[in-house]
Amino acid sequence: MRGNGRLGRKRPPKYSAAALAWKGLRGQSWPRVWRDCDLKRSYDAVVIGGGVHGLATAYYLARNHGMTDVAVLDKAYLGSGGSGRNTAIVRSNYLTPEGVAFYDRSVHLYEQMAVELNINVMFSQRGHLTLAHSDASLRTMHWRAEVNKLGGVNSSVIGPDEIKKECPSLDTSDHPRYPIQGALYHPPGGVVRHDAVVWGYARAADHMGVEMHQKTEVTDILCEGGDGPDGKGAGGRVTGVRTNRGDISTPIVINCTAGWASLISTMAGVRLPITTHPLQAAVTEPVKMFLPTVVVSGSLHVYVSQTDRGELVFGASVDPYANYSVRGSLEFTEGLAGHVLELMPGVSRMRILRQWSGLCDMTPDYSPVMGHTPVEGFLVDVGWGTYGFKAAPVSGEQIAEAAATGTTPKLIEAFALSRFDDGELVGEKGAASVGH
Amino acid sequence: MTMSRQGVQPTEVIDRAAKLRFRWNGKRFSGFEGDTIASALAAAGEHIFSRSMKYHRPRGILTADYWDPNLMVQVGDDPNVRAGHRLLESGMDVRSQNAWPSLNRDIKAANSLLGRFLTAGFYYKTFMRPQWLWPTYERVLATFAPGGKIDLDTPHAYHDKRYTHPDVVVAGAGPAGISAALAASSAGASVLLVSHEHAVGGHLRYSSDAADQAALTELRAALDASDVEVLTDSTVTGRYEDNWLGIVQRNHPIAVERLIKARAKTLVAAPGLIERPYVFEGNDRPGVITPGAARRLINLWGVKPGERAVVFSANADGDAAVADLERVGTEIAAVIDGRTGGSVSSTAGSSRAVEAVMVNGTNGAERIDADLLVVAAGWTAPTSLLNMAGDRPIYDPTAARFFPSDPPSNVLATGGLAGDADLDGLRQHGAATGRLAAARAAAVRHRLQSRTARALPVDGDEPAWAPDERAPLGRDPHPELYRADTHGMVDMSEDISSKDLVAAAHEGYDSVELAKRYTTATMGPSQGKLETVNTVAAIAEARGETISEVGTTVWRPPYAPLTLGALAGRMFEPVRVSSIQPWHEANNVSVIQAGQWLRPDHYGDPAAEVRNVRDNVGLIDVTPLGKLDLRGPDVPKLLSLLYVNKWMKLGVGRVRYGMMCAEDGVVLDDGVTGRLGEDHYMMSTTSSGAGGVWEWVENWLQTERPDWQVHVTPVTTAYASINVAGPKSRELMSRVCEDADLDAEAFPYMTVRQATVAGVEDCFMWRIGFTGELSFELHVPAGHGLHVWEALMDAGSDLGVGPFGLEGQRIMRLEKGHFIVGQDTDGLTLGPSTGLWSLIKLDKDDFAGKPELAWAADRSLPMVVAIQPDDPDVVPEEAAQIVRGNTNEILGRITSSRYSPTLNRSICLGQVEPDLAAGGTKLTVLLESGERIGATVIDHHAHFDPAGERLRG
Amino acid sequence: MLLVPCPNCGPRNSTDLRYGGESHARPDPNTASPAEWRAYLYLRDNPAGWLRENWYCASGCRRWFSVERNTATNEFRDPPLPGDKRGGAA
Ligand SMILES: Cc1cc2nc3c(=O)[nH]c(=O)nc-3n(C[C@H](O)[C@H](O)[C@H](O)COP(=O)(O)OP(=O)(O)OC[C@H]3O[C@@H](n4cnc5c(N)ncnc54)[C@H](O)[C@@H]3O)c2cc1C
Ligand SMILES: [Zn+2]
Repeated sequence: MRGNGRLGRKRPPKYSAAALAWKGLRGQSWPRVWRDCDLKRSYDAVVIGGGVHGLATAYYLARNHGMTDVAVLDKAYLGSGGSGRNTAIVRSNYLTPEGVAFYDRSVHLYEQMAVELNINVMFSQRGHLTLAHSDASLRTMHWRAEVNKLGGVNSSVIGPDEIKKECPSLDTSDHPRYPIQGALYHPPGGVVRHDAVVWGYARAADHMGVEMHQKTEVTDILCEGGDGPDGKGAGGRVTGVRTNRGDISTPIVINCTAGWASLISTMAGVRLPITTHPLQAAVTEPVKMFLPTVVVSGSLHVYVSQTDRGELVFGASVDPYANYSVRGSLEFTEGLAGHVLELMPGVSRMRILRQWSGLCDMTPDYSPVMGHTPVEGFLVDVGWGTYGFKAAPVSGEQIAEAAATGTTPKLIEAFALSRFDDGELVGEKGAASVGH
Repeated sequence: MTMSRQGVQPTEVIDRAAKLRFRWNGKRFSGFEGDTIASALAAAGEHIFSRSMKYHRPRGILTADYWDPNLMVQVGDDPNVRAGHRLLESGMDVRSQNAWPSLNRDIKAANSLLGRFLTAGFYYKTFMRPQWLWPTYERVLATFAPGGKIDLDTPHAYHDKRYTHPDVVVAGAGPAGISAALAASSAGASVLLVSHEHAVGGHLRYSSDAADQAALTELRAALDASDVEVLTDSTVTGRYEDNWLGIVQRNHPIAVERLIKARAKTLVAAPGLIERPYVFEGNDRPGVITPGAARRLINLWGVKPGERAVVFSANADGDAAVADLERVGTEIAAVIDGRTGGSVSSTAGSSRAVEAVMVNGTNGAERIDADLLVVAAGWTAPTSLLNMAGDRPIYDPTAARFFPSDPPSNVLATGGLAGDADLDGLRQHGAATGRLAAARAAAVRHRLQSRTARALPVDGDEPAWAPDERAPLGRDPHPELYRADTHGMVDMSEDISSKDLVAAAHEGYDSVELAKRYTTATMGPSQGKLETVNTVAAIAEARGETISEVGTTVWRPPYAPLTLGALAGRMFEPVRVSSIQPWHEANNVSVIQAGQWLRPDHYGDPAAEVRNVRDNVGLIDVTPLGKLDLRGPDVPKLLSLLYVNKWMKLGVGRVRYGMMCAEDGVVLDDGVTGRLGEDHYMMSTTSSGAGGVWEWVENWLQTERPDWQVHVTPVTTAYASINVAGPKSRELMSRVCEDADLDAEAFPYMTVRQATVAGVEDCFMWRIGFTGELSFELHVPAGHGLHVWEALMDAGSDLGVGPFGLEGQRIMRLEKGHFIVGQDTDGLTLGPSTGLWSLIKLDKDDFAGKPELAWAADRSLPMVVAIQPDDPDVVPEEAAQIVRGNTNEILGRITSSRYSPTLNRSICLGQVEPDLAAGGTKLTVLLESGERIGATVIDHHAHFDPAGERLRG
Repeated sequence: MLLVPCPNCGPRNSTDLRYGGESHARPDPNTASPAEWRAYLYLRDNPAGWLRENWYCASGCRRWFSVERNTATNEFRDPPLPGDKRGGAA
């Protein structure tokens, strides 16, 4: 079923070099990327969270399932959560077969996105290196490479000499405290312009009739029939949401709120295996290009890439304690700098320009929680932790299918909330814990 | 615009007797000590310092200070140096950054012609097709990256850090900040005063007013006489939780930059105000400067900024600039007063210099020839430190700037951030702020000390939290001057114009955050200090709203950029080695990194080491093995709770193997624990698990079983540990061990004895062995490790004793089929998957992970099994996947593999699906090469000596 | 750097301590249903506000202790920290 939600709307102009030139010559302006709509009292589906997951979900609801009477609600502006704060690394070299298949589909969708959404999302498949500094981590890299190959993903382990060729700024000598012993090399991995992805989904969804509502905060979820207070909880079903702009009735509510996922789920009486931790990032002043690939070091807890603007963008691991504050810390930039200089001593004169932080919804097995919940009509697409940006296209596609059809698509079966009742966690935890 | 050095100015900071030579783009120049790079260049008549990012327009001095976006240069291997701030040094090699082939003739300046197509965000709208060309486009776009170059050979020079715990930190050393520091110090507080500039004084430094200079002299003298610690050329870069401050000191005598971390009891924010540029057509032409730039050039460095000036003034700073300019002989062509409705609408001239200014003054619209336009349009309040403390500043339209709203009570604002006053008023407010800061700091100090059980007792009651009774500063009215009737640059570093912002807002990017992301305004190296409020104003205008309605962005740390070197500081990653390391090093050891430890991997030929252990006797240094000394009557209960097996009946002198599972049933650690005495046990853990297990033990004891009497002491590094393994180990041990009967009956397998070894008392040893050989694991007080090792080597020379390393041990343990936690198991491996079902005693009342382990019986779990490739010469990689036949379906993986010198064949451990775990099952192993080989599961984990006869020997 | 109030050592830099997560009671291992046990293992309240949580004074006195912290503002409730009235999450 392929929907056409462009009912009665004039087709907005396409982006292209020719259009740019034409408008430039005529001094014309562009129309709004998405409309400013009045909030209606009822929708066929409400997506909570105007991040990349919520927007992708709305886009696929309209595009693949013809559901265009959909509202995306965000308490701030689109992309104000993790989607506007991440380091935008995209890759599919995961450890488990289910992870690999899932993220591979996402990379595939990213490859087509610029054309499909008619916006340049600047997907830069510049290659992705995950460094190993110990025997044990090298062994895990081999493990990942083998699983990747079986899943049809381009991924292999390379040694220090080849690493030096891909990325000359890395110190591959045995001088560092933890010398680089090898790396998992993933050529299709890279970075994408995160804002463009967010705006691209919003614009494309808008063209099909989906409404984006910013500064619209969900304060409660209305349920009936559940075993908890106010009809919330297992066995019940969703009837609508309450917002700072009034109540909305709807049979389908999709929770795409990442760091705030627990708060929203609690409103429906659903407990989640999630804790919220800030993840910080930082950017330096620009310098001329010198770092061709994305470099990640798990043992040193740091990853780095250079933007097309010349800045180095860094990230690390999540803050150690649960937190909803995004003020950031000095110890983060200190640790980061120390580790970066271990990898690339030559950048000690570069200056940190800005640091920031976003909320991450961490799960015990480093895998998302997706699909239906014990409350009918209440779906979750959460648990995206530190890795959810790359998953947005496939998640949107699959969650839209789950919501529209009431089924659980195969690609996300492994990520169901019920796995925690059954103790069947996803093996990405294996990779995470074999760190020593 | 022609700038030139003038006669001596009374306030100047240059030493005209000290001439410094340097290079600018390869050409020789000179300046004076006290010059900044920019002032020296300006004095020499240079007026183009950089090219803009997108259009490569020539750019000149704008603010002549740290925040000047046009003065970024490369100095040697140091990119993005602020030439408006960095002091000139002799021999500097200074280059412009963003121009090719040269600053004067830049090819990309042609982009200017394309301006109307290169609107903000244009790249989002093009280059989508053909898809395969995007990587090429991307490379071209990347050549527009601004900024300097890094030299990968730059060493990570000396960068130590400093920690300090002052009562009061004052950020900003203008008259208000100095007064606050002095007052706080007089009130008994320890005070750190941080001046962003090279000297204290703030705006007084570049004032030619006699009263200002007198005040400056007085304040400096008072500082000199006080206990205040003053840091110059230093910036408070961030305020983090609980007033944890980052301070970067750029003028440290040794460190390139030093990071100072201060836990301030109170923070006084006195950063002053930053001049805000005005937006109009041609506002980025070289020759358009702020009044501060004019006054700094004249009064600090004796540089005349131009010959004929138009001054647009909306405040006293603009007026003061007029006076200074006149004094050095700049002709004032016109003063246009912004307070009475005068305005500037554009400049005219070449791309390289202002030639005329279009104004709307008392004479109506006119064109005035001038080479200099000074624009005093107002200020931006740098509220960053308050923002970082959680404050959301509020816009006041009558004063045309933001003011603090409600910062935490241990952060106090003074000076321009807090309001306006004459010099005395500022000093009084500063002093009142200093007194308040000191009083609150005293309360914090008292509380900290009284809350710390081990601190010295503190006298008296906690002082009350001092109320804020400062007379607030006033707010001078100021016209709201953001944009003239023309459009111009809002962000000079990013080449973003007000037109771009208005267009972005109309396109729907109409909140500050969206517009900022879409256009990149405020994202450049000046961090929005100059650009943010003009950006907000442009969006407000496009939306038809007020600035208050639109609101501002959140300023994020750092307040001023600081180097990775300073943040990194010195590496503090200790290397751990055992006391036997000197012997290893003298004997051709190859080491392996194991966490923080360096361990002997082998001594040249691991296979030979294995054969020697199997035939004779070998020694391995296993010091990193975790060791916890457990004492108390409840130790057996603790062990029963932590391990899956039983411990209540372990006799004195006995040792037992145990496995630990976490509460989710996943294997956590393993090792042996022995009972040394009635209430005294020694637990061993894996090397990598040592720290984690200790914490885990403490957690159980303190939170779940606080009533149990057990003392836990980690003794990993208190002992050097040596495993003596091989058929001749008993003989060897008997030669060095004086007071223990080593006979098989007296000291059987799985027992522990205390002994004197090679004259060293208080050793203990247990008879166990990971290698599968008769072996004695010796633990000797760490300081004697080397001695005992050498004694063993000497005593056993005729027995063929030799060392063996981790690699040899790994081979032998694999021959014996012992799994390694974290290698053969992973983060999901439940206890029963190891095959040690019989170890798990579900009839115990309670132990960690019990329910999961009980339910595991009904689950289909992968199993750890021993595997032998059909071809004995092929060693599958550790990670090789076990697949179903010729398909890609994964059924398991090889977790350990080696070639066994004992069996002369390849041997493995692996994890497989449960239906493949039975002995004799045929497997297909996919090698990394892509080749598929056959392999067989064997009956038990041990490839060698499954009955364990050698071990018990 | 957050100051964490160790009852023994006083307020200490958070990097001196290890975070132990939400405090929750351990169900009786002999009677707990799989749902109860796994809720204990995995499910969390994760509020944006006051949370009772555990910390381990790893570089100090080695004490595990439980304390209330507001996860939105990072205020500690018992014992409250010196004069620090915080604004909302920035
Ligand atoms: C610093 C950092 C770096 C990262 N790096 C990467 C990376 O390199 N690669 C990668 O794949 N992932 C990365 N991630 C993770 C990734 O950013 C997230 O997983 C992803 O953006 C989640 O998208 P989302 O749409 O689910 O949530 P978000 O983008 O966080 O959106 C959730 C939205 O919900 C809204 N919301 C919350 N509560 C309510 C309410 N009550 N009512 C209405 N709206 C509400 C919020 O305002 C927010 O906009 C990183 C994250 C961070 C913080
Ligand atoms: Zn303590």
